[in-house]
Amino acid sequence: MSYFCPNCKKEWKCPVKVCIFCGNSLIETTPQDSKIIASTKVFVPSTEQEKVPYYVYLIENTLGEKSIVKSQLRLELGDKLDLNRKSTQKIKIGIIGSGLMGLQISEYLILRGYPVIIKTRNEKNHERILSKLKQKISNDAGIDELPSRLKCLKITSQYSDLSGCSIFIDASSEDLLIKKEIFTELSQLADTHTILATNSSSLSIDEIASVTRFPTQVIGIHFFNPVKKMSLVEVIIGERTADKTIGIVMEFLKNIEKTPILVKNSPGFIVNRLLLPQINEAIRLLERGTATKEDIDTAVKLGLNHPMGPFQLADFIGLDICLSILEVLYLELKNDYYKPADLLYIMVNEGRLGYKTGKGFYEYQKK
Amino acid sequence: MYITGVGRTKFGVLSQSLQELAYEAMINALKDSSFSITEIDGIVVSNFLAGPLTGQLHLNSVIASLIPGIHIPIIRVEAACASSAVAINQAIHCSDQFSNIMVIGVEKMTGPTLISRTDAIAMAGDKEIDYKNGVIFPAAYALIAQQYMNKYGISHNTLENISLLNHKNARLNPLAHFNYKDVTKEMIRNSPMVAEPLNLFDCSPISDGASAIIVSKQKRSDRDISILSSQIATDSISLTQRKDLTSFIATKIAAKKAYSEAKLSPDDIDILEVHDCFTINELIALDDLKFCEPGGSYRLVDSGDIEINGNIPVNTDGGLKANGHPIGATGLAQIFEIVTQLRGEAKERQVKDPKIGLAHNIGGIGGTCGITILGV
Repeated sequence: MSYFCPNCKKEWKCPVKVCIFCGNSLIETTPQDSKIIASTKVFVPSTEQEKVPYYVYLIENTLGEKSIVKSQLRLELGDKLDLNRKSTQKIKIGIIGSGLMGLQISEYLILRGYPVIIKTRNEKNHERILSKLKQKISNDAGIDELPSRLKCLKITSQYSDLSGCSIFIDASSEDLLIKKEIFTELSQLADTHTILATNSSSLSIDEIASVTRFPTQVIGIHFFNPVKKMSLVEVIIGERTADKTIGIVMEFLKNIEKTPILVKNSPGFIVNRLLLPQINEAIRLLERGTATKEDIDTAVKLGLNHPMGPFQLADFIGLDICLSILEVLYLELKNDYYKPADLLYIMVNEGRLGYKTGKGFYEYQKK
Repeated sequence: MYITGVGRTKFGVLSQSLQELAYEAMINALKDSSFSITEIDGIVVSNFLAGPLTGQLHLNSVIASLIPGIHIPIIRVEAACASSAVAINQAIHCSDQFSNIMVIGVEKMTGPTLISRTDAIAMAGDKEIDYKNGVIFPAAYALIAQQYMNKYGISHNTLENISLLNHKNARLNPLAHFNYKDVTKEMIRNSPMVAEPLNLFDCSPISDGASAIIVSKQKRSDRDISILSSQIATDSISLTQRKDLTSFIATKIAAKKAYSEAKLSPDDIDILEVHDCFTINELIALDDLKFCEPGGSYRLVDSGDIEINGNIPVNTDGGLKANGHPIGATGLAQIFEIVTQLRGEAKERQVKDPKIGLAHNIGGIGGTCGITILGV
């Protein structure tokens, strides 16, 4: 945005009302048709931009007005950049599900200025969701920011309210039947440009895609808990996922400062495929009395340089979730190596689910 | 007006506090002059970051603590990296009321800080439009470097040669930050990238240090140096409000006024100190100060003209690149060097018989420029 005096041909970048030379009112101009005239890739972090490297572009429009844009994307000198689209007209995102991940993804996107619509099953949940998000946003962005941030948020129980979203991210429970129902509904709202994504950590993209009218637009976007701290996002490519879909999703994730990696649809993708067998093996070591849980955690932390040991991490993830992922791995890969340890079943049946219930492999003070 | 005394500390990563550094420079300037502290009737302090980095402001009173019981007027001047030149300019403007004014530049940048140095230095640029969009200080000069290099077909090799020469000169300056360090072209070329196309050796270092000069109405000794001109000019702070990013209009205006006030032209200048906070700035400075046509400064580098025995020696002390850049003290260190050279006291790095010297001190990304011309 610039403020221009047509009389004196002077330009201001800060929002002033009158020309200090002639006293005339100024005209607000919005740079359009801007192209990149200078760029740099920056390797030094600062408070405003902790993640490096990143790009800074100096852009200029046909009137010679300049602006500065930062981005995770590599663009070339002379490339056109629509400043309005980048900064204000952010695409609308529909989040299906208001559990832990649904709310975390919603908050993350709201804080980056994306309009978010959360679809929840029951109208009774609206107030609970709103108050949780208010709490999170005021903790992370400050209470002053709350009113302007909440403008980005809408909560609904009607699928019809989700129309107009460019990307749907399903964050419902890990149940293929439920997901198939959801994607059948979303498919009715979608057009040929809509991205139909699921945050599922274990279910098959291809199965989910089979119920939609647009299987080439179905993709996995697997965020990690806690969303605001974990930079990694697994992007899961199904058999029919189109390159265009992958491209849009990769750009979107880079724009929201995540580090996406690509993985073909397969049980557990990359992270869970490597992590859960390790947790399972650690539980087996404990069952056999080979070592104490504390010593196994210490060994993994100091010997493998992991920030948490397998028992600490399993408690944090939730033992019920660990079990359900292992069951999927076992079922799909048909190998005893992935068979969940007996102790895991016992603990889940006893309701010792980890951090969230106050008791898992370790005990936690209830918040 | 005359400079009747100069003093400085070593620049570098130093153990002394801001007060200790300022004190050492003051003592050295007084020793160099024929004055005692009681003959100083006003002080201007130049400093950029004591507030944000160390949490200490009200620096004029901090300096008063170093001269107990004197109670003379002291003012503090801040104009980012051009604080020194603006402080000198301020001292000259105050001269009606004072006989001998001391100008002290001091900066303590290493050690524990309240905020990161990158964030603090970025305060010299526009906060809302530039910094919030990722334009830290090196990124601003990187954007400028890319424009300049593309416009005039300059390769990074020229910037490497500027860095190399400044490091070579610093080897001859015992007070320089990198006096101890032998630097090769390979080290420069292979150093880590900071903001493309600028790598580590394109950037001046984070230094501690202080410099002080005494500005007097009357000449007392043959060693006193005349101030022929001091001019400052300003420009908008955000890069987005500039028409041309391959030149700094503030430099051109301040230089034009200074040449006119001193009744001199670039041909008359025997020795030059330019503000090479980034190597690219040395090229832009030589253009803007009219030592060549726009874009022609690389020839002065290639030809060796800017070396100590060249036609127009530049940054004989090692420049900001290798002498160091304790921001508030930097411009006064340039004056220290020119005075030392004009007096013929620069020993190993002495330029042959210079009569006129010019110092070019830039604040931010060309938002302020101060030009000082001195003569014997």
